[in-house]
Amino acid sequence: MTVLVGFVPTPEGEAAFTAGLAEARRRGEDLLVLNTPRGGAPVSADLAPPELVQQQTTRAQADGVALEVRQTPHSGDLADEVLRVAEEVAASVIVIGIRRRSPVGKLLMGSSAQRILLDADRPVLAVKPQHD
Amino acid sequence: MTSPHHGAHALGSPGGRETAGAGPAGDPAPPPSTDTGMTDAGVTDTGVTDAVHEVEVEAEDRPPAAGTTSNLVIAVVVLAFGVAAFAGSWALGAGTAQRPAAGTFPLLVSGVLVLLGLGLLAGVRRTSDAERFTAGSWQVLAGLATMVVFVALISVIGFEIPAALLAFVWLRVLGHESWRLSIITSLAVVVAFYLLFVAALSVPIPHLF
Amino acid sequence: MDLAPVIDGFGVVLEPTNLLYCLFGVVIGMLIGVLPGLGPAATIAILLPLTIGVEPVTAIIMLAGIFYGAQYGGTITSVLLRLPGEASSVVTVFDGHALARQGKAGTALGIAAIGSFVGGTVSIVALSLVAPLVAGFALDFGPPEYTALALLGILLVSTVSSGDRLKAVIAACVGLLLATVGRDGFTSAERFTFDNLQLADGLDFVPIAMGLFGLGEILYNLEERHRKVQAPAAVANVWPSRTDLRQSSGAIGRGSVIGFVLGILPGGGAVLSSLAAYAVEKRRAKDPSRFGQGAVEGVAAPETANNAAATSSFIPLLTLGIPANATMAVIFGALLIQGVSPGPQLVTQEPELFWGVINSMYIGNILLLIMSIPLVGLFVRILRVRATVLAPITVLITLVGVYTVNNSVFDIGLVIVFGVLGYLMKKLGFDPGPLVLAFVLGSLLEDSLRRSLLIFEGDATGFFTRPISGTLLVVFLVVALLPLVRGALARRRNRSDDRTDTTTPKELV
Repeated sequence: MTVLVGFVPTPEGEAAFTAGLAEARRRGEDLLVLNTPRGGAPVSADLAPPELVQQQTTRAQADGVALEVRQTPHSGDLADEVLRVAEEVAASVIVIGIRRRSPVGKLLMGSSAQRILLDADRPVLAVKPQHD
Repeated sequence: MTSPHHGAHALGSPGGRETAGAGPAGDPAPPPSTDTGMTDAGVTDTGVTDAVHEVEVEAEDRPPAAGTTSNLVIAVVVLAFGVAAFAGSWALGAGTAQRPAAGTFPLLVSGVLVLLGLGLLAGVRRTSDAERFTAGSWQVLAGLATMVVFVALISVIGFEIPAALLAFVWLRVLGHESWRLSIITSLAVVVAFYLLFVAALSVPIPHLF
Repeated sequence: MDLAPVIDGFGVVLEPTNLLYCLFGVVIGMLIGVLPGLGPAATIAILLPLTIGVEPVTAIIMLAGIFYGAQYGGTITSVLLRLPGEASSVVTVFDGHALARQGKAGTALGIAAIGSFVGGTVSIVALSLVAPLVAGFALDFGPPEYTALALLGILLVSTVSSGDRLKAVIAACVGLLLATVGRDGFTSAERFTFDNLQLADGLDFVPIAMGLFGLGEILYNLEERHRKVQAPAAVANVWPSRTDLRQSSGAIGRGSVIGFVLGILPGGGAVLSSLAAYAVEKRRAKDPSRFGQGAVEGVAAPETANNAAATSSFIPLLTLGIPANATMAVIFGALLIQGVSPGPQLVTQEPELFWGVINSMYIGNILLLIMSIPLVGLFVRILRVRATVLAPITVLITLVGVYTVNNSVFDIGLVIVFGVLGYLMKKLGFDPGPLVLAFVLGSLLEDSLRRSLLIFEGDATGFFTRPISGTLLVVFLVVALLPLVRGALARRRNRSDDRTDTTTPKELV
């Protein structure tokens, strides 16, 4: 069994990684960080730079968790890709970061997070970045 | 008439062989070594050409090479085209060297084409630069279909609806973009085109509105 | 040399409209050069409709701007992403990307911009001196010389093209045949028109170029390829240090000369010269192992050379009327549409156009230097736009653009047909460049061939009695037959290799 984290290099993604790491340690499972950019453009801001991946690896090692970071690009909807990978690795839980949004904002910006929450057939842990 | 003049001039200039040496020196036309230029660079530094090739392959990410059958088909198509052009030129009148006719030049070119097609046929097993058609090739056919629809409809109902349709299909079906992005982008593109071509430049393109 | 027309040329360039179009061309060229997929030839082809209804000088100034803007745009992706935007900046990848990984992307881009500027400027000065001489020399050319020159030009572009040479020559032959479609100029017989009125005036250049280069490329990219996606790179410190400049000054000097000389040759001048300049620097270096690890000379040399070559490749076009590569063929086509036929008489008959175009290159290079550095951030952001969003927009620009040239729906049909042909050619290993070049030169070649035969009264050996056409044809034969001879030798050697069971690499002889 694996803990699956949907990761993007944002505060939300960071919060998801931290929560996912803690979850994996608590459950004694492996951690899979899915950081998949949308394919088609040569550059994507959704992709974690190598230094960040390195940093995550160090943190996982310190916590004694086996970490895999998957960065293959996807086409189509991000939510579908997360759900597909969750199925593939038989994830015990999906960890995602979500944003605080007003009802109007939600109407305009249909969110991947919402689709994952609604469509997943396994537990989903949704976390928010801490505000200080 | 300029040509007889030039002809007379050339025939009158003596010592063709001697002056031939001066020709290429002042002439920008390349020395015969150009052909080997690529490999020369390679010989001086084989590593560079290899590395260049590697980068190109990496950047292009081409699918696997086509099989012998496809290469055979390519060669046969080239050959058939050459033969057809040859026959067509022959029908136009082959002419003679003294009196070139309308068909003379195409006849020469298609003759060369037939020879080259035969060369391609002979080397069918050795070539590896044709790509295999993959599942992705269907996408190309779909993209082509939208363009055919575009050209068929443009004179009937103007460019707006076919253009929006084309953009939408490319975005949503071929590009797997989201519904929202596909609809907004295809509408925005048509509005931008309308403003640019019809309103600003007054191009007489068939339009509905 | 009479300087008055040169100075008048500056007057032409400094007209506000021309300056504006030059700026527009350079920026568009850089933008599209940054996007992988569309090379300079495709970019110019797609934007050809923009030149309709514009003064010829202005049109060419803009197209030339697109051309060298695209050269520099390709450099940006080579350095930042290890993705060469086009063939002539492939070598830049080695040291440019190595520098970027050391956090010195700015140094690499700055050196490339300075090198491009110097190379371009040196090349323009040399061009201004050489071009009138060549044109004067070529004024005496008659039909036999043009026959030989056109044949050699087509063959050289085919042999230096990417991919299989045999296929490239086949493409060239198809181009020559396409050029014969329509009414014959001598006998006014209808050729290959299949009784179609639209074909009676021959095939138009614009749909062919836009279809083969533009649409063909887009269709080819439509097939899903699993291209790598990269995280955005931070570009800091765009100015190279004094040490970097001192270190690369030699490379820039040598690169300018190599680029200028090789750029004149028909064929892949820019590509060839970037390779040669890199190889020269590596050989001259005290410590060649630095190359590939982020040596500034490894960026400076090829970037200087390819820009110098891009400039000098205008010489054969403007002085002989023979385009030296596919991009020049498109510019040649644009000139023909404008009613200007480039050739030796251009300097004397249209000095404003001739010197206007040449002098616009100074301005273009200065604009390139000024714009490139502050705009790098913008270019990096453009790289985030997905091809799936850009493709339909480009397709519509192509389809509507080709219509605007002749206001003809038939032309939209043609551009689609040639788009499919371009896709198939790219897919099956045929380079579309030689086809377009041969198409452009087709009527010149046929015309001069027929005139020559009339002059020689049918005696083809006549070509060899004239010094220039004779020499050119001998070169033609050598270039044409060399691969055959080499192929035969290689085969014989392979056979003996099989017997003795040695594994000698092919490149050794």
